[in-house]
Amino acid sequence: MEDLVRTALAVAEAAGVRYADARVVSPARTLHYDVRNGQAQALTDARSESVGVRVRTDRAWGFAGTTELTPAAVRQTARVAIRLARAAGTSVDAKLVVTEEGTARDGRYATPLAQDPFDVPGEEIVRLLRGAEARLHATREVKSGNASFQAWEETKWFGSTEGASYTSRIVSVGAGVSATAIRGSNVQRRSGPTSFGGDYHQAGFEYIEGLRLSDRAEVVGREASALLDAPACPTGSTTLVLGSDQLALQVHESVGHAVELDRIQGSEAGFAGTSWVASSGIGTLRYGSDAMNVVADATEPGGLGTFGWDDEGVPGQRTPIIERGTLVGALSSRESAAELGLARSGGTMRAGGGDRSPLVRMTNVDLLPGDHSLAELLTGVREGVYVETNRSWSIDDKRLNFQFGCEVGRRIVKGELGELVRNPIYAGMGPTFWSSMDAVGDASTWHLWGVPNCGKGQPVQIARVGHGAPIARFRDVAVRGGG
Amino acid sequence: MTPGPRSRTARADPVAGALSGMPDGVRGDVRVIERTWTTIRFANGRIHQPHFERSTHVSFRVADGQRLGTATSVDDTAAGLVSVRDSARSLARIAPAEKKFPGFPSGSGRDRTPVDFSDSTAELSPEKATQIAEEVLAAAREGAPGARIAGVVIVGSERRRVANSSGLDRTDAFSSAQASVLVDRPDRDPPVSGWSEGGHWDHRRLDAARLGTEAAERMARSDPEPVEPGEYAVVLRGPAMAEALTFLANLGFAGLGELEGWSCLRRFRGRRVAPESVHLVDDPRSSATIPFAIDQEGMWTHRFPLLDHGIAGPAVTDLVTAGRLGRAPTGHALPPEAPWGAFGAEPVRLILAPGSASEEELIRTVRRGLLVTRFHYVRIVDLGRGIITGMTRDGTYRIENGEIAAPVRNLRFTESLLTLLKGILLLGKETRAYPLERAVSTVTTPSAAVKSFRFTSATLF
Repeated sequence: MEDLVRTALAVAEAAGVRYADARVVSPARTLHYDVRNGQAQALTDARSESVGVRVRTDRAWGFAGTTELTPAAVRQTARVAIRLARAAGTSVDAKLVVTEEGTARDGRYATPLAQDPFDVPGEEIVRLLRGAEARLHATREVKSGNASFQAWEETKWFGSTEGASYTSRIVSVGAGVSATAIRGSNVQRRSGPTSFGGDYHQAGFEYIEGLRLSDRAEVVGREASALLDAPACPTGSTTLVLGSDQLALQVHESVGHAVELDRIQGSEAGFAGTSWVASSGIGTLRYGSDAMNVVADATEPGGLGTFGWDDEGVPGQRTPIIERGTLVGALSSRESAAELGLARSGGTMRAGGGDRSPLVRMTNVDLLPGDHSLAELLTGVREGVYVETNRSWSIDDKRLNFQFGCEVGRRIVKGELGELVRNPIYAGMGPTFWSSMDAVGDASTWHLWGVPNCGKGQPVQIARVGHGAPIARFRDVAVRGGG
Repeated sequence: MTPGPRSRTARADPVAGALSGMPDGVRGDVRVIERTWTTIRFANGRIHQPHFERSTHVSFRVADGQRLGTATSVDDTAAGLVSVRDSARSLARIAPAEKKFPGFPSGSGRDRTPVDFSDSTAELSPEKATQIAEEVLAAAREGAPGARIAGVVIVGSERRRVANSSGLDRTDAFSSAQASVLVDRPDRDPPVSGWSEGGHWDHRRLDAARLGTEAAERMARSDPEPVEPGEYAVVLRGPAMAEALTFLANLGFAGLGELEGWSCLRRFRGRRVAPESVHLVDDPRSSATIPFAIDQEGMWTHRFPLLDHGIAGPAVTDLVTAGRLGRAPTGHALPPEAPWGAFGAEPVRLILAPGSASEEELIRTVRRGLLVTRFHYVRIVDLGRGIITGMTRDGTYRIENGEIAAPVRNLRFTESLLTLLKGILLLGKETRAYPLERAVSTVTTPSAAVKSFRFTSATLF
C-alpha cells in the first residue's frame, strides 16, 4: 500500500504541483446486522478499498479517487486530480495559503481493542440481537422491534509530498434496540441506550457486551407502549432538563457545526450552510452562560472522533472551543486556519473514505461536566420537563433557530421526576438557549456518546464523531407537545 | 441510450460463474455497479473543491433456503465475486428465516424499450464540468454584482448490471447533470440570499446560466422584515415542493411503513387526500426525470400511480417487503445491503403533473401569505401523522393581495404532509427535475399554491 501512495505522489511531483497527499484505505469494512420483528432486515458485510489523491497548485485544489488499487489506476487518478486543480485555478487570482506543519513521519495509530469485533462469530452477534429484539415486544401494541449492531474498520496509509506518512487502524462498534408502539395515528418509538442505532464507541466487542441490550429491551418496549397513553407534553415556557444523550445532539448541532471554520468562512454555504459565528468573534463572543465549557478533543480514549493524525497529516489534538461561555477556538484545517491567520491547523480534516476529499469535521466535541448531581439539578425546579433521546432534529443554516423532538419526557414537579409525557418538543435560538443553562451535571451524569451519521460535503460523506455530555438544566425554554 | 442486454456464459462471465457455482438450495442475486462522477464545488465566488471519483461496487445477496445475507465489495473479478458471494452465504447461514421470501424473479418476458441516456454526459471531462460551473458563476455574478456565490455542478453516470440465479440478467445505466447555486450578501444585516437548482439526464439541456441568473433574481434587494409565525397561505417554489415530496415518498409510500404500520397514508389508501389536480406518479422511465430501467433487484421499472388525481395509491415494495405483505413486488427495490436494506422499498423518481399557472398567477391566488423558495434541514416530527419540520431559506417573501410585498426573515414550519396535500390550490405550469446528489432520488415538480401552512417560529435572518 505504501507503494501506491508513493506512486501517486511521484506523479504529482513530476507534474510540478505545490503539494500532494495520497491516502489508501484498505480495507474499509462495515458489519451491519439489523433484526426486525424476528427477521433479518439486513445482515451485511461491506468491504471496500480505495485511494484518494489530493493536489494543490498555487491557486486551487484538485481531488480524485478510485476503488481500483493498481499502480496504473493510481497514476491515472493522480493525473485527473492535477487536471482538476489546473482547470479550477485558471479563473482564480488569489494564491492558496496553508499553515506550515510539523507533520507525522512513519506514525502509527491503532484503536486499543480487548476483543476485535471482526473476530466475533456472527452467530453470537445475531443471537444477542434476536434475544434482545424478542424482549422489546413487551405488549401487543409494540408493532415493531429492532435490534442492530454495527462495526467499522478503517485501515489507512497516508503520505504527502512534504514527507508526512502514517498508518492507522481505527475500529468502532455500536448497538441498540428500539420499539415502535402504534395505536391509530399515535406512533411512539422508544430506543436504548439512545436512538440512531444505539451507542457507539471506538472500541472492541467488549463495549457491546457492556451495553446489556437484552436487559434494556424490555424497559424500552414497556416505555414505548406507556407513551401511547401518556398525556402530551405541556406547552409553555418552562425549565427544561436535558438528558445526556439529547444534550450530546444539541452540542453537535448548535455548537459543533457552528464552530467549523470552513462553514464560518463560507466554504459550505451552498449545501450545509454557514454559521452565525464570525471568525472575528473568536476570543470575545459570548456563546452561553459561565457554566458552558466545550472542547474538541481528538485524543479522547474511546471517542468516535479520536485519531492519531488527520487526513492532512496533522496530529489529533485537544482544542478549547468555549471557556466559561466565551468562544475561544474553532475547528480548523491547514487552509482555513491560514485564512484566519492562525499559525497551526487544529487538525480536524477528515474524509469519509479513501475516495472522498477531506473536510473540516468534528472530532469529539464535548460539553465538560459541571458539579451538580442529578438530584441537585432537579432540586429547586418547581415545575418543568425532563427529556431524553432524540427523535427529531432541525436547525437553520446559520445554526441559530433549532427545534428538537425527543422520544420521552417526564414532568418535573417540586424537584421530583413525575409522570411520563409524550411527543416533547423544545425550540429556541442557540445563544439564548446556551445562556439559559444555569446548572451542569457532574461527571456521574456525563457520557461520551458516538454519532455515527454526521453528513457534510458534496459528494456527501458520513463522519463518525463523538460528544461527551452531562445532564444540564435550562431556564425559560419554549416547550410543547405534539407537532 | 442504455447498453443492451449482454449475452454471457458462466465460463466467460465471472458474474454468471459466481451465481452458478452455488450448491442446491442456495440462490442469489448480484449487482455490479460502475460509477463515474465529477463534482465541481464552488464557494466565495471560486471553484474550491473539484472532485472526481470512479468506483466499482459489487453487492451479492444469497438466499440459503429462506435465509438471506448480503455482502459487498469493490472487486468484480472472478475471485472477487466468489469471495463476496461466500461472505454473503456465511451471513445467510446465521440469519433468521425470511419465511415469506418469494424467491428471485426470472428474467423471462419481453425486454422493455431503453430509457434516455446521454453518452456525452457520462463521458464529460473534468474540464468541461468545470466550464459548466464557470457558466453558473458568471451568470450569478452578472445578476448580482458584489454578491458571494456558492454551489455545485455534479455530472456523471452509473452503469448497473443485475443478475440472479433464476436466469435474470439485465443491464441499465443512467446519466445525470445537476447544478445548484446560492447567491448571498453576508455583509448585509440581516443577510440576504437567493437559490436555484435543477438537473437533467443530458448535460446539454441543463441551462446552467439560467440557474445562476435565477438565484441572483431571487435574492432580496431590500432588508427582510420580521414576520410573525402562524398559519399562512404559501406559494412553494419547485425546490421546496421537491423536498416535501421526498418526505412523502418515505412517510407515505415506503413498503416498510406500510408493513410496520407507521405510514401516514396507511389509513387512506384508495381515499382522496388531495384535490383532483394533484397527480403524482413514480415513473423512472420518463424523460422528465433522470431515467433508469431496472430497480436494484433487476425488475423493470414502470409508471406507478402514487396519488391518482388526488386518491392515495398503494405503498411500493421490493421482494422482501412484498413477501411479508403478501403482495407482488412493485419494482422499487433499493440495494439490499445496509443501510438501504434497513429502509425497505421506496419510490425514487417522483413526478408531479404540472398545472397551467405561471408563478405570477400562483402568487395572485394568495391574499395574505408567503412565497417560499426552498426548505432547509427538514426532519420528521411525527411519523403517524406525517408531520415534518424545517426552515425556509434563500428567498422568502411576504405576499399581500396577490403580489410580492417584501422579503421576510426565515421561519420554521412544522406541518403535516396530509395538510399540505389537501391544501394544494393550484399548480405551476413549469416543471423541473430536482435530483438529490448523484440522482439517488429525483423529484420532478412544479411550484404550487397551498391554502394553509403552519410556521411555528422565526429566526433572525
